Amino acid sequence: MALINEDEALIAAALNGSAFAWEKLVKRYESRVYNQGLRLMGNPADAMDLCQEVFLGVYRNLHRFRGDAKFSSWLFRIAHNKSVDLNRRKRLMMVQAKPWSQEEDDGLDMYPAATGFEPDEKLDQSQANTQVMTMLAQLPMDQRLIVELKIYQSLTFEEIADMQDISTNTAKTRFYTALKKLKVVSEKDHVLP
Amino acid sequence: MSCPKTQHVMLEYFSDDLAPLMREEMEKHLASCAECNQELESLLMTKSSLEAWQEQRVPHWDRGVELFSREHRTSKTGNASWDIWQWIPTAASFAMLCVLLLNVNFSTTEQGFSISFNSGANAQSDVTEMLASFEGAQQLEMNQAIERMEDRQDGNNLRMMQAMLEQNQQATAENLEQIYAYFEQQRILDLQDMRVGYQQLVDSDYETIRSLQQLASFVSFQDDVR
Repeated sequence: MALINEDEALIAAALNGSAFAWEKLVKRYESRVYNQGLRLMGNPADAMDLCQEVFLGVYRNLHRFRGDAKFSSWLFRIAHNKSVDLNRRKRLMMVQAKPWSQEEDDGLDMYPAATGFEPDEKLDQSQANTQVMTMLAQLPMDQRLIVELKIYQSLTFEEIADMQDISTNTAKTRFYTALKKLKVVSEKDHVLP
Repeated sequence: MSCPKTQHVMLEYFSDDLAPLMREEMEKHLASCAECNQELESLLMTKSSLEAWQEQRVPHWDRGVELFSREHRTSKTGNASWDIWQWIPTAASFAMLCVLLLNVNFSTTEQGFSISFNSGANAQSDVTEMLASFEGAQQLEMNQAIERMEDRQDGNNLRMMQAMLEQNQQATAENLEQIYAYFEQQRILDLQDMRVGYQQLVDSDYETIRSLQQLASFVSFQDDVR
């Protein structure tokens, strides 16, 4: 409760022009947005791009935030939409750069992105995170988003359905399909060549 | 995988609000169906390996603060006129307060428009007159006080000087008297001395005369005897 109130106080101060309040507000959520970016986009550069786009969107629409929902829910809805947009733009750019990869429409074309880290960025990353990113890179974006929202943001299927404008059953099915696919992937990973 | 219920069971297993009865039924099925059980185990393993994610720190970035500061500054100058208008009610209230506190009187006469403070237009001249008379009285009183002060000061000085002079004179007179007495005494002593000296001289002269008389008598006796 205090956290929400503090958010509201920071938003009010930021709307009154306090750069300090704005920075504090960003600091509160940047880590969650960046980590979401890493999982969804598969590399630190795109995660940072997403982070910047999300907070720019928050800044541009802050005066429209009514306070009837939690600020975090509002922010992560923006983050969700921006992830979809950024992913779409990236795919479009990849298709334009490599027209021959058009037939791979199941998300596997995202796989090389997970290996595109700079060496120093990779140092920051734990083995577990690398494995998670490799796993998630196997999924198409809609499934990856469901996994993100269900496992990492702990939303209910109803909330996910509402956010993605799909039915609850579709959300459940996508989640199950994603886990099944990842199960197959991880089983494949454990098979020695 | 040949169990027809697997997908349904898995979907229900991960749903948020499963009725207790349904859960019981599902648990029963899982205990009896090895395929579903195995499927669930592997899904849970996959889920837990996804949950192994460790929060990664955010690389340094400016958090949009520069943009925020820049845009806020420009928006502020853009709304400058609004900011000025915003102050008008406050300024009006302040002016009204001043009018009330200073009891300002606005009056229009043949000479024109006049503004006066406190009650009425005559009040100002009254106040000026009162002030002038008060000033005069003060001045007079002050001058008198100064004169009195000067007088008192002069009297004091005079008295002090007189006293000093008197004291001085008395002292001088006493001194002269003492000197005079001393001289007088000396003179008397000298006279006495002189008298004694003369007496002695006279006495010795008498002695001499007496001895001469004796000598003469003796001589005469001797002559008589002879």
